[in-house]
Amino acid sequence: MTSIDVQHLTKEYGTRRAVDDLTFTVRPGRVTGFLGPNGAGKSTTMRLVLGLDRPTSGTATVGGRAYTTLQEPLRQVGALLDADAAHGSRTARNHLRVLAASNRVPARRVDEVMEETGIASVARRRVKTFSLGMRQRLGIAAALLGDPEVVMLDEPSNGLDPEGIIWIRELLRRMAAEGRTVLVSSHLMNETASFADHLVVLGRGRLLADTPMREFIDARVRPRVRVRTPDATALKAALARHGHDAVEHADGHWTVPDARVEDIGRIVSGAGVSVLELAADEGTLEQAYLDLTATETEFTAQPQEA
Amino acid sequence: MNLTPVLRAEALKVLTLRSLCGTLLALFAATTAFSALAGVSDTSAPDFDPLFMALSGVMPGQIAAIAFGAVVVSSEYQGNGIRLTLAAVPQRGRWFAAKLAVVAVPVLAVGLVTALAALLAARAGLGTAADGLTVGEQVRGVVGGGIYLMLMALFAAGLTALFRSGVATLSTLIPFILIVSFVIGDAAGTVADFLPDKAGQIALYRTYDGTLGPWTGLAVTALWAAVALLAGFWRLRRRDA
Repeated sequence: MTSIDVQHLTKEYGTRRAVDDLTFTVRPGRVTGFLGPNGAGKSTTMRLVLGLDRPTSGTATVGGRAYTTLQEPLRQVGALLDADAAHGSRTARNHLRVLAASNRVPARRVDEVMEETGIASVARRRVKTFSLGMRQRLGIAAALLGDPEVVMLDEPSNGLDPEGIIWIRELLRRMAAEGRTVLVSSHLMNETASFADHLVVLGRGRLLADTPMREFIDARVRPRVRVRTPDATALKAALARHGHDAVEHADGHWTVPDARVEDIGRIVSGAGVSVLELAADEGTLEQAYLDLTATETEFTAQPQEA
Repeated sequence: MNLTPVLRAEALKVLTLRSLCGTLLALFAATTAFSALAGVSDTSAPDFDPLFMALSGVMPGQIAAIAFGAVVVSSEYQGNGIRLTLAAVPQRGRWFAAKLAVVAVPVLAVGLVTALAALLAARAGLGTAADGLTVGEQVRGVVGGGIYLMLMALFAAGLTALFRSGVATLSTLIPFILIVSFVIGDAAGTVADFLPDKAGQIALYRTYDGTLGPWTGLAVTALWAAVALLAGFWRLRRRDA
């Protein structure tokens, strides 16, 4: 069992607290989305886990050990931090060969991960000729190099084209299904909703939420039901009898707030109202996230630092 | 703590950057060419020293050695590459040791070959003017030249780790070397003898009349390099990457 464990982690840069008493665990077998606005402390937390920055207090461990005590860490933890970490004058293949050599990763893995990330055809080109999307793929290739149990990716879909975004989503889902621990930061809600099972949400360096994604949404966004009918009067009357208040929209459809589709379905069929469309209007991660940040008073009262 | 994989990775980094291989080539070419030129120059000056004349190409050549030491380290600080490096090798001491090895070994090897080639090229021009040189003096000059170049490269590597910038190192060290060489010049027997470059250069002279001899001079240069490396390592250890 290889989890990422963060305990009372605090990091101060001068007087600014980038990470403030953070405690959470990232567990294997699921994709954990790491959310928060720019400057919330997501990247700093990742650097602290990797032992690149030193915490002011608290600990971060991977599989129970501090990262800096790992002898061949790329075989246990794969990370993508910046897309521009590769030296521009080196070819993609040589860049990965260097990393492989440092952790005694077999050389064939270099070709395998380039194949997997779709950069095999540009393997012998210098990194400075790469587009952002290709650099991003190279960074992901580097993270996958040691076939690690734990994968930590900072904004992996940056610069990727639509096919790339679908590819990364499937990659993340597959890695979680293989039992790996997957932590993915993002500030794009719809994107995160498409791959995450669990969420860790930060705001101004503090933990705002650590819950399964479905629970997070259900707790914050009331479910609604969407109905279309040719007989608005009958619909409204039937719903009113059961204490529901329907709202009409400009294009002719109705929404029933705070209701479940199972209940509304029974009500309208019981009343014999003809129905053209009946659907659950699920809350989105974006709505839930905005609701959360709106309730964080300190969070909204002070402007974000750049 | 197994150093071998880290050494392999660092060696591969040097071999896969064309500019670094080019710098070593420049070290050889510049040193040999300037020594060859010195070999056909005027030998009638009263303080003519045939060994230094033959090895004088080391003076311009050391700029290539310094550039090599600086760039091997500074290439890590380009675009946050250091984060990727330290994520792969989180024990910073182990990484720094490997880095120094890939600065020292290539420069020493190329430096020894270069000093020998420079001596031979210059002697072809000097002819009888260099006949007085003993084998021992020439061996000392060549070995001392190789070690001197290596120490200057390490000095630059240490400063680069301290400044986290190759530009800062080169713009400090190269003017320093040029100014010391031209302004303080040959004023021997002063504190200038103990400057990092001047001390080590004593090994390139046939005769010397200061407090330092060829080997003690190189030891002083080594001390300077060690201080720069320790300062660089201190910065590397303390700082967030």
